[in-house]
Amino acid sequence: MNLWQAVKMAWKSIWGKKGRSALTILGIFIGIAAVMTIVSVMDGYKRAMTAQYSAMGTGIINVTIYDWSYDEQGNDVSKDYFPDLRAFCNSLKEVQGVSPQGRLYNVTVSYSTKSTANMRRQLDDNGNLIGEAPPDMYYGSDQYSRCNNLTLVRGRDLAALDMSKYNQVCTLGADAAKLFFGTTNPVGKNLMVNGTAYRVVGVYAPRLEDNNTGYNSNLDNIIIFPYTDQRMLGGEKPNEFVVKLRDSNKLKEVKARINGFLKGVVPNENFYVYSNDQWQQAEEAALGMVGGVLAGIAAISLLVGGIGIMNIMLVTVTERTREIGIRRAIGAQRASIVAQFLIEAAMLCGFGGLVGIAVGTGGSLILGQILFKMTIYPSFPVTLGAFSLSVAIGILFGSYPAAKASRLQPVEALRAE
Amino acid sequence: MIRGDSMAHLVELLDVYKIYGEGLESEVRALDGVSLTIERGEFVAVVGQSGSGKSTMMNVLGCLDVPTRGEYLLDGTDVRELSDRQLSRIRNKQIGFIFQQYNLIQSLTVLENVELPLIYQGIDPIDRRDMALEALERVGLSERIKHHPTEMSGGQQQRVAIARAIATRPPIIMADEPTGALDSHTGLEVLAFLRELNNEGSTVILITHDNGIAATARRVVRLTDGKIVEDHPQDVDWYAPVQRAKKGGMDL
Repeated sequence: MNLWQAVKMAWKSIWGKKGRSALTILGIFIGIAAVMTIVSVMDGYKRAMTAQYSAMGTGIINVTIYDWSYDEQGNDVSKDYFPDLRAFCNSLKEVQGVSPQGRLYNVTVSYSTKSTANMRRQLDDNGNLIGEAPPDMYYGSDQYSRCNNLTLVRGRDLAALDMSKYNQVCTLGADAAKLFFGTTNPVGKNLMVNGTAYRVVGVYAPRLEDNNTGYNSNLDNIIIFPYTDQRMLGGEKPNEFVVKLRDSNKLKEVKARINGFLKGVVPNENFYVYSNDQWQQAEEAALGMVGGVLAGIAAISLLVGGIGIMNIMLVTVTERTREIGIRRAIGAQRASIVAQFLIEAAMLCGFGGLVGIAVGTGGSLILGQILFKMTIYPSFPVTLGAFSLSVAIGILFGSYPAAKASRLQPVEALRAE
Repeated sequence: MIRGDSMAHLVELLDVYKIYGEGLESEVRALDGVSLTIERGEFVAVVGQSGSGKSTMMNVLGCLDVPTRGEYLLDGTDVRELSDRQLSRIRNKQIGFIFQQYNLIQSLTVLENVELPLIYQGIDPIDRRDMALEALERVGLSERIKHHPTEMSGGQQQRVAIARAIATRPPIIMADEPTGALDSHTGLEVLAFLRELNNEGSTVILITHDNGIAATARRVVRLTDGKIVEDHPQDVDWYAPVQRAKKGGMDL
């Protein structure tokens, strides 16, 4: 007997008892739908997280130096480590760029009627941004854009000369440009920064396709100032730096070398060198744990569903004892009987899996929207995996009833009512 | 597997016992030391009252059951040495079963029921269909192949069962009370059909409790309490079943 015949027979028997078959696969369908939803939502969130990190750029090392000193009048006379760090990093062939990367707070930026003094970052219950959020303001070197995965679309980038001449200029991220200037070209316009005019020299391309999600800071709503202006703008001496590598595989190696260099320069090892892949890994690990627990719960529902299948298949075997006897009498081998019931169980569960996949896809879309404001489709491997899993459950839990059916003695099976 | 050893008897039972609950006080000897040989082309009626062991004998002969003791040589092969796979192939290819209760599968159509043994033989769909249709034509049912057994009369169902039994063209036909559930006219048709098969060379083993029906066979083996008490050839009396039916009380 070939497989196709067996599949046709199984289909006949499933279709012959539509109502019961539908109820039987309920457990499998719910389990698969739950697994699909959980796995694909986790998967989708992880992908979004990875996108966020890669928008910031890969192969990035962050350096923090916390070595401050003040004179008797309380003036900040801390050493500026950037020239040393830049000199060292530029000597490494793996390094593409290096820049201070400090955040400026208490800076008011205005243009025409728009002022950051009137902007606040506010989220509604769904995590959507309400109104306009003020841009994040940073200072950096001429290599800031290179270190932060920014590409220029208008004007020019910050230049080394801007640093040495203390030029009052700035560059804007795509969303910050939109915020102040709408559709007009900001290049050459002056922003008022704490009452002083700063000329916009360049605008960067957007780094993220969708910055609508309020949970993460908007990577494109930014203003970058030359780091030499930071004292005027009320920032501290640069103590955070970013080093961009040509090849992210060299991360570990370069980190070690920067560490070694700073040990000889900064007293008391008052510095910290880290890469953002560390954060990414930690976040992924945490996410994986949550996903594992949820998947475990879903697996239990699949187990229950599988036991349901086994029960119904046992009932079916009992009901069809006579049929089994007839089949045996006219020449069915044990193996044929096993195949018949296994295929029937696998097909039942396969149908349950298909329905589960459909519902799971819907669940992923809905949950993705509610939780993360993302459109999450289950990936092909997840879909294929879910289907294989449901068929495997059918085979696993169908094997006992199938074995039982095949062990019936033909003569006894024929005697059954 | 039947070796096709033409020197051997087709069927040979040697001191066969089938004992239920052996050693217990309630021990039942369904077959109690039976020895029997059947040659190719015979038409044998196995007769006995209910409980005489005749159905057990058919089950043993049909490889549906194994004897407790004793030897069963089918075409010279000791069936005790055969695997489930080999026994299944014998049931499939060498023996056609006709049962009192027809034993059709209700969820399958007439054609599918007749095709079933051919499916287990692994015959491809087109040939299979042709063979099944041919068998159905022989029993005069080529019109109703898409019907389900429940939509048919008892006589029609038994004809479907016969078509299924002959579809694989087996050398042996085993009929266990084939007329038991049929009216006398339909029963006679079935008996005539068995006769026809026998004339074409099939070995027919007919199990019945009815002496009138047994009279249509060329040889009678009578069983009482699991023992053969009578075994002889006879002149075929075609009218015996009819006369007995006319006398009344005896259903065919």
